[in-house]
Formats: sequence, C-alpha cells, structure tokens
Amino acid sequence: MSNEKISETAGKAERYLSFSLGEESFAIPLLDVREVIAITETTPIPFAPTHFLGIMNLRGQVISVIDLRKKLGIKPNQSTENAIIICNLQAVTIGMVVDSVDNVLHVQSVDVSEKPEIDGSKKTEFITGVYRQEKRLVLFLDIAKALSLDDQKAIAKATVDKKTA
Amino acid sequence: MDDFEKEMKVGFLEEASQLLADTEQCFLDLETNTGDRSLLDKIFRLAHNFKGSAKAVGFDQLSHFTHQLESLLLKMKNGELAIVSQSVDLLLRCNDHVRMMLDGLRDNLEAQFDCTELLNEMQNMIKNGIEASAAPMAEPEAEAEDMPPAAELFADDTASAEAEVAAEQPPPVVAASPAPATSPASTTAATPAPASTSAPGAAPAATAAKATAGAVDDSIRVSFARLERLLNYVGELVILQTVVREQVSRIESPLLLKTVDQIGKVTKEVQDISMSLRVVPLKQTFQKMQRIVRDTAKSLDKKVNLELIGEDTEVDKTLLEKLGDPLVHMVRNAVDHGIESTSEARLKAGKPEVGTIKLAAFHQSGSLVIEIRDDGAGLDGAKLTQIAIQKGILKPGTVLGDREAHHLIFASGFSTKTVVTDVSGRGVGMDVVKTNISQIQGEIQIESQIGKGSCFRIVLPLTLAIIDSMVINCGSDAFVIPLSHVHESLRPKPEDIQNTTGLGDILLLRGENIPLFRLADILGRKRATTKDNDEIAIVVRNQEKPFVVLVDDIIGKQQVVIKALGKEIRHIKGFSGSAILGNGRPALILELHELIVRTKTGSANYNNKSMVSA
Repeated sequence: MSNEKISETAGKAERYLSFSLGEESFAIPLLDVREVIAITETTPIPFAPTHFLGIMNLRGQVISVIDLRKKLGIKPNQSTENAIIICNLQAVTIGMVVDSVDNVLHVQSVDVSEKPEIDGSKKTEFITGVYRQEKRLVLFLDIAKALSLDDQKAIAKATVDKKTA
Repeated sequence: MDDFEKEMKVGFLEEASQLLADTEQCFLDLETNTGDRSLLDKIFRLAHNFKGSAKAVGFDQLSHFTHQLESLLLKMKNGELAIVSQSVDLLLRCNDHVRMMLDGLRDNLEAQFDCTELLNEMQNMIKNGIEASAAPMAEPEAEAEDMPPAAELFADDTASAEAEVAAEQPPPVVAASPAPATSPASTTAATPAPASTSAPGAAPAATAAKATAGAVDDSIRVSFARLERLLNYVGELVILQTVVREQVSRIESPLLLKTVDQIGKVTKEVQDISMSLRVVPLKQTFQKMQRIVRDTAKSLDKKVNLELIGEDTEVDKTLLEKLGDPLVHMVRNAVDHGIESTSEARLKAGKPEVGTIKLAAFHQSGSLVIEIRDDGAGLDGAKLTQIAIQKGILKPGTVLGDREAHHLIFASGFSTKTVVTDVSGRGVGMDVVKTNISQIQGEIQIESQIGKGSCFRIVLPLTLAIIDSMVINCGSDAFVIPLSHVHESLRPKPEDIQNTTGLGDILLLRGENIPLFRLADILGRKRATTKDNDEIAIVVRNQEKPFVVLVDDIIGKQQVVIKALGKEIRHIKGFSGSAILGNGRPALILELHELIVRTKTGSANYNNKSMVSA
C-alpha cells in the first residue's frame, strides 16, 4: 500500500528484492519485506496445506513459514535453501524459504513489461510483471495472490463443512 | 470501612476518571454532531456503567446523581428532549460536577457533596423540556450565594470544595475520619511527587485543585501491545541466556561462569515479573460480587446466597478489565430477574427459601469459562417473545425457539420489568454485557429451564492468557496440552489396551472402559517405532465423555504464553494456538477433543497424504 503511494509521488524508480527459487529469479516489492533471516528450524503443522513448512519463532512472534516452490510447482532443491524472507502482507506476516537472496533492484516502471499472455488455464495472476535483468528474466510476484490468502479461508471452511456434514 | 472496601473504592475512582474523560469527549462530540444516535447510546452505556460501579462500591450519592443524569440521557436518546447547546451545557456541567465529586472522594472516601442544584435542574428539564426549564434555571443562580455553581466549586481548591457541603447532608467532611492517610492510592502522598501526573483526563483546573491536595495515583495504564512486545523480548532473552549458559560450560573462567549464573537468575526474575504483569486472579472481581449480591438482594427484599468457585483462576488483566462491568450486570440480573421475587414462590416450587447464585470460573477446551448460575425461575421463552413483540423488537406473530427467545434479553431496549428501578428495568444492562463480551471475542451461552433456574456462561478465548501446560512428545516433535485438559497420566500395561473391531482401541482403567487414541494417528502421522509399553496414556475428562490419548513421552509441565497462530493457518481445527518452548522452538497447543472429532469424521485420513509428503 505504502509502496504504491511512493511510486505515485516519486513516479520513477521502485525497489524490489530479488531472490531465487531453484533456477528461477523472482522479486517482490522491498516495502513488503520486513527482514531476511538465516534459515531456521520450523515446527511442522499437521493438516496444513503442503506448502506450509511449519511455524517458527521470530523473537517471540510465531510466524508461519511457507515453501513457495511447492505452491508454484518449482522443483524443490532441498539442500540449497539458505534464507527466509519475512514479509508483511496485509494483516499476515509470513516467512518464505528461498534458495538465495540476490539483490535489491531499482526498477524504472517503464522497464517492467507485462507478463507474456499465455492462452491456457494455468493461473498467472500472482505474476504482476516481468523484468529483464541482463540475460535473466525476473518475475515480479504478488505473494498474497500466490498464496491465495483471501480465498484460502473460504476453501478451508467449505471442505470442513463438507466433511462434518 | 474495612481495608477491602477501601481498596475497591480507590480502584473505582481510578477507573472512573477514565470513564469520565471518555464521557466528556462524547458530550463535546454530541454538541457538534447532534444527529449521531450512536454517540448517545455510548454516553448512555458509559453513564450506566458508571452508576452500576459507583453503587457497587458504595458511593451512593454518586450513583444517585448518575441515575438522574441517566434519566435525562434516556429522554434525549428517545428523542423526547432536543439536543441543543442548552441541554449539552447541562450535561457538561453535570460531568464537571461528577469530576469534582471524584476529586473530593479521592481525598476523602466519605466526602459528601451538594448536588441539589443540578439535580433540580435535571428534574426540571426532564419534566418540562428545554423551553420551560429556561425560566426556573434562573432561580438557582439567585441562590448562588450559598451554593456556588458547579463550575465555580470545581475551580476552587479541593479543601474549600469540601467545605461547601450542604447543611442537610451530614456528616461534614471536615470532621470525617482521615481516611486518605491509610488508603493505598494516597500512600505516596508522603513523597512529594508532582500532582499533575495523576488523572490524565482531568482539566487543568482539576490539576490545580489537586496540587494542594497531593493525593497521587501510583499506578499507570500501559497498552497491551507494549506489554506484549516486552514479553516477546523477555522470552527471547531467556532463550539467549540458555544458549550462553550452554556455551560457557566449555570455557574455563570462574568469573564468567558466575556472571552467567547471575544473569540467569536476573533473567528468571525479569521473566516472572513480566509474566505477572499480565495475569491477575479473579478473586478481587469475584469478591466484589458478594457485595453486589448482598446489596441488590437487600434492596429487593430477597434472600440470596452467593457461592464462589474457582476464584484463583488467573485471568489476563486486559480481559479482567473488560469483564468487570458485564459481571456486575449479570450478577445483579441473576438476583433481580433470576431468583423468584418472594420466598413463598420458592417454597411452593419446592426450593429452599434462600436462593443460590453460583459464580464459577475455570479453563475449558482452550477457553476461559465464567458461569453465573441461579436456582431461580428460569427464562420463559414464550413470555420473552411476547414482550419483544410488545416492545416492537420483533414483528407480531413471530415464533421463536427457546434458544433464540433466550437471546432476546440481549436486545437493546429489552426489559421484562415494567418499572424502572435503581437495579434494573431500563433495558440497557444486557446490551452492555453483550457489547463488552464480544469486544474481547467472547461469547455468552444461556442454559435455562423454567422452574429450575438459568445458567449464563461467558466463554472467552485464551488468546490473551497464560496457561499451565503439559509438554509432550510425538515422534520428534513436541506438543503442548493445556493442563486443565489432563485429568491424569499413567503408563498402561500392554494387556490393558484392547483392540476391538468397530470400537477401536479401548483402555481398561480401574473398571472403566475408555476409548483410546494414539496421538500420531490423530495427528495424521506415522507412528513412532517405540513399543506400546513405553507410551504414556493421558486421560481427558473435560468433555462429556472421557477419552485417552497415548503419547510417546511427557517432557514436563510448564507455564506457556499462548501465541495465536497466523490468520493463514488459524482455521485448521485441532490447534488452539502455539507456545514457544524453552528451546526457542514454537510448539502447537493441541485441542485433543477437536482432533478426535476430526479423526472420526475422516478428515484426518484425507489429510494424511499431505502430511506424509510434507
């Protein structure tokens, strides 16, 4: 939210944090990032969707940690992950396991291209745009959309209702 | 006046200044925004709370004055009296007068005040409306020589304000016992602390008045968020300190060892103190009810006994603050509406002459439960529906089930009493109760049987609380079980666990046959390879039917701070939250009953797959 404001007033450069998952590069708005920490132990949550790795203790706050690769269908590469990006998304604080945190991108809005349109059923709304960094393509993500945080509750409720009915 | 009463009164004064500041803001808003009904509702609620609390602690004059004010507000609320600057002005003057009384009471708990002028004025306005009251309003001003208007009184220093005691209201304050010297709030009066730090909502004039009085409020209000942050960091400190202690054992330095030892002690102390900042036993609040029951019963000429159960149950301070007012209302309601009006009616129904109200508090399935149970006449669903129709709350011809009908008592403006009394009848009490309880995410359940009595159950979430818990192991992971759920734990002999077709595993426990579940199964995990006879059975009896859960091991008993799970996973059934254990890792707090229900409905099997692949 606040980042939109800044981009409106400043009009030009926006900052993104880029990171890699498997072989691919992604970026999220820097203002959504609270901090980056070294990978830590998590406690698994039974019955949670598979992309939830568990919960962790961030200086007294209990935070869910997710594995975006499972959600996005990227081949997991268990051994290489080394950091957790803590993001503040609306009312939710979430930790995201990544293989590596690369750098902060200063991106002029004109340099961000629309994502290539693909005919097909695959959901791509969580990709807000693409950016070419030298020879590499960086995908800009909307984490909240990627995790479908909004509709998740509804789905969970529906399944529970169906079960108990 | 005994110490306990004094303490209650002082507590009330503290609370009252806050209420007063809120009210004043509302009055001022009202003047600029006369059309806002919600403002009036809020003021009315505040005034009602104020009156109730004042009465409860025995400030009769204050409660009498507020009662009159409330009547005036009701007129305005019902639109019978216009909200113009004249009426708002009167309200503000009343507010000032109340503050003056509070200031006076803070110095002397037995102070008496002259309220006749404002009372007359209010009476006038209630009776005659605004235009008519304009003329008589001049009268009191003519008498201003003996009775200075409130504003003037208020600007005076407290000593002289006290001197203005009306002649017909004995005893004169000057001669009253020197109560402040021993009252807790004024013990600090000896130290020359700046008086302006007290009563943050007070106007400058009040502060000036207090400067001479010197009674200083020695407690401060701290926001919950701040406390939460403090606790988080203290928790972190404890964990870091354990790490340091482990590391230091490898270094041979006596001084370092000793220092780390001391840090450990200090940390423990800091942790204990910061934990204790949040929880308080219900005792004081519960005991306050004794007085309320006694007074209410007396004024209604009823015989009622109050039984207190679970007074030592600890409650988060923030919860307790919000609980006080609703409890007062509900207990008063139990005496007024619950218990039959006459002893004859009770005897006729085959009940003892003296009515009983049981006030109980306990932890249950991850909630704090407070029960107010009376053995009175019970709620009559049909009658409630009828009244609601009369009052225009329901459409004529509506038929409700008992449960819905019982909940009618929470409707704003609903009252079964036809006469407005000091105790009840305005139809605002239960409305306040509901508002306050839902503010703290609580829920009120009603159980009532005609002729047998009613039970009001306030169920509050534990998100703010600290609980005693048992930490157990399932495979390599630790889980937390609220100790209140654990009835007993034992190591069963293999032959006591019988597997049956259809009923599953059954534990034979001293003549009882109790269904048994394995924690790994109900969590949808693979069973650990440990043998059955190493496992420990936890017997849970807080539900309707007992059951046993077999866990791998008990790690220990400890107090934990409940941390709510994030929104993204909160909907998952079976976990009431999480807690951070001594090793710094979070563990889930299990809601065993929910987990079992989940298993029975088959959703565990469904999710089994996802757990294994994760």
